Amino acid sequence: MKNLLFVVGLLMCSPLFAQKTGSLTLQFHNKVGTEEVVLKDKQYTNALGESFNITFLQYYVSNLRLLRKDGSEYVVPQDESYFLIRQQHPESQKITLNNVPKGDYVGLSFVIGVDSLRSASEVSKRKGCLDVGGDGKDMYWAWNSGYIFVKMEGTSPQIPLTGNRKEPIFLYHIGLFGGMGDKKTLNNIKVASLNFGKEKVKIKADKNVALGITTDVSKLFTGTTNVSFAVNSTVMAGPYSAKIADNYASMFSYEGIQK
Amino acid sequence: MNTRITLVFSAFGFLLLSFCRNRQDELFTKPSHFPEPVYKFQENPLTPAGVALGKTLFYDALLSKDNTVSCGSCHQQSAGFTQHGHPLSHGINDLLTKRNSMPLFNLAWSTDFGWDGGVHHLDLFAISPLQNPAEMDESLPNVLEKLRYSKTYPALFEKAFGTDEINTERFLKALSQFMLTMVSANSRYDKWMRNEGGALTETEQEGLALVEQKCAPCHSGVLFSDFKYRNNGLPTAVNTDEGRYDITLHDEDRFKFKVPSLRNLAFTAPYMHDGRLGTLEQVLEHYSSGIEKSATVDPLLVKNGQKGIALTAEEKQKIIAFLQTLNDESFAKDPRFSESDAAPAPELAEFANTDWEKVDLRTDNPVIKSTLAKALSYYWGIKQGLLTDNGKESSRSAKLLLNLLENIDLSTAAPIQKAFYLKVYQDLGFDTEHVAETESVAHQRDHFGDLSKNLFRLIKSFKTNDKPLYYYTCPKAANGIGGFWLSEINDEKGNPFFGKNDKKCGQIVMTALE
Repeated sequence: MKNLLFVVGLLMCSPLFAQKTGSLTLQFHNKVGTEEVVLKDKQYTNALGESFNITFLQYYVSNLRLLRKDGSEYVVPQDESYFLIRQQHPESQKITLNNVPKGDYVGLSFVIGVDSLRSASEVSKRKGCLDVGGDGKDMYWAWNSGYIFVKMEGTSPQIPLTGNRKEPIFLYHIGLFGGMGDKKTLNNIKVASLNFGKEKVKIKADKNVALGITTDVSKLFTGTTNVSFAVNSTVMAGPYSAKIADNYASMFSYEGIQK
Repeated sequence: MNTRITLVFSAFGFLLLSFCRNRQDELFTKPSHFPEPVYKFQENPLTPAGVALGKTLFYDALLSKDNTVSCGSCHQQSAGFTQHGHPLSHGINDLLTKRNSMPLFNLAWSTDFGWDGGVHHLDLFAISPLQNPAEMDESLPNVLEKLRYSKTYPALFEKAFGTDEINTERFLKALSQFMLTMVSANSRYDKWMRNEGGALTETEQEGLALVEQKCAPCHSGVLFSDFKYRNNGLPTAVNTDEGRYDITLHDEDRFKFKVPSLRNLAFTAPYMHDGRLGTLEQVLEHYSSGIEKSATVDPLLVKNGQKGIALTAEEKQKIIAFLQTLNDESFAKDPRFSESDAAPAPELAEFANTDWEKVDLRTDNPVIKSTLAKALSYYWGIKQGLLTDNGKESSRSAKLLLNLLENIDLSTAAPIQKAFYLKVYQDLGFDTEHVAETESVAHQRDHFGDLSKNLFRLIKSFKTNDKPLYYYTCPKAANGIGGFWLSEINDEKGNPFFGKNDKKCGQIVMTALE
């Protein structure tokens, strides 16, 4: 059987089938407003005037599609279309899409989080950054099977120390893919669409183009709902998570081609 | 050419499939009266090596943070794979979880798992207890690292999956393979259903008719569950756990929990998601007179404004008689699922069919006599600890008792006495170990009753006591299951099950062993 696959593989790679392709790199820059995210040591202020720092930041980017002027799309193959951007790992903030067909592209879209099909998939489909025994370890609710799409933790002196709380920490673990079966539950899957503007992105055979994308994580608590650390310091798989997901749907912006 | 490749491929695939099918059938067979299983075996075909690996993992405490808790700690075979005697299961460092550990059997017929159904695939289930801070408090990557560094596991993974790579998928699928083999379908009811001989008595058949009439559609079909989530009217003041709501966030799901199977109830007490009911009598009493009305209480339990299910005392007895026919003794003892798959000690095998109640075991053997006298002195230490809420003292005494019972030299005892001792020690050792390993009096009390019962059984059978010994029963202790303890005085006032907070525990009954 291996031989058979090898033959099929050879055929696919032969010039007859080959398509001219290049690669596209996306460099994510995590920011709070206009300031770079620096874990722990940097203080920021939210829209409500509460100061805070960030101690943990990760989010999934998946199901990438590149848009052409005529409205057609290049869809990144499903199994290669899951990425986890991790603040502590700079290399994870730069993702490269290989085998992108040559041509001009005018925009990009992707899912913030993990689509419902993969969220419900069997364990053999959960590899790489989706491996909860590997890179995805901090991004999964074991008791309520599902990935955490965006996870941000930090501290704010405005958070009151009541009950069992010994430190003024906030925990925003946002996920929920809509549930299984006939009974639908909260669906916090959001799609980000970025327009490249006048500057078209040209993919040439065997060449790489790098684009910069800003992720303004202050959007988690700024937008339709201005979230207070003092009032909502812990948001996980509850109804309030929808407000944060609505907010962060617009946290990505296109910077331009990187020289 | 295309057609030929397809043909060759399908022929090969068919061969492969039929080969897998045969191996699989030996490990998992659908009982003839069961519906088709829902687990997708084609995604994880069972193999002997895969099942064996799963079993080794299931019973390995390496899966927990401090290497003390295995899956088998909270899912004990003799208790229908629940945690014996615990209303809420105990995990690492004696932390309490918020629910009663669920029985594990017939899992191939479930689409979601846990009391709230939060996990939607059997393969994904194990991550939950593994990472729950009150259960095993470990992380999956750490477990995989421990397995990779172990001397034995890489070879076991290679046998099961072809290479010695240890990854998430293989780890989880091996555990599933073992759990899928745990099919319970050999109760008297099952044999009767399959016409394999053995009849149900008239009372039992009337009980079955009552179950079909009064307990369906919730406990329906041969699996005795509709696998839905329902609020069965348990008073919520006692426990604010909202169950299914935490998963779906739908108001109509507040206080709903999965309908459990009615199989193997003799092994799985206590009952309900929080183990609040200790006996089947209490469960039926709840359904007939204890239903609490609420926004989400199941409509089947409140008909025409009338709360509960109308049941006469006679009907309750018949239902309970029928429920006993759903106990699968062979499942609870099947060595394929046992922690130790070694054959029982030869001393025991020889007396496997002995009716111990009818044998005179009286002995003057000096080793047995002195050991049991010594055992009692350590036992008083355990009891004193419980009477004064001093878990440290109980634990210390239990360690001494365990050491003594474990190392008894029975070379001078008669074979039948030796066999009886070993038989009782299987349970006595288990409970003593549990009292020893914790300093939490609550956990110690969960095991102290059975410890007392079995120590008394040894002393009574061997008739080794010089002084009278009194056996106390307090029917409402230990969550209604009953508490048992020994004493040398016949008017004891203290109660080791309530310690300093002396509470009424119902009519205390005392039996004397002169």
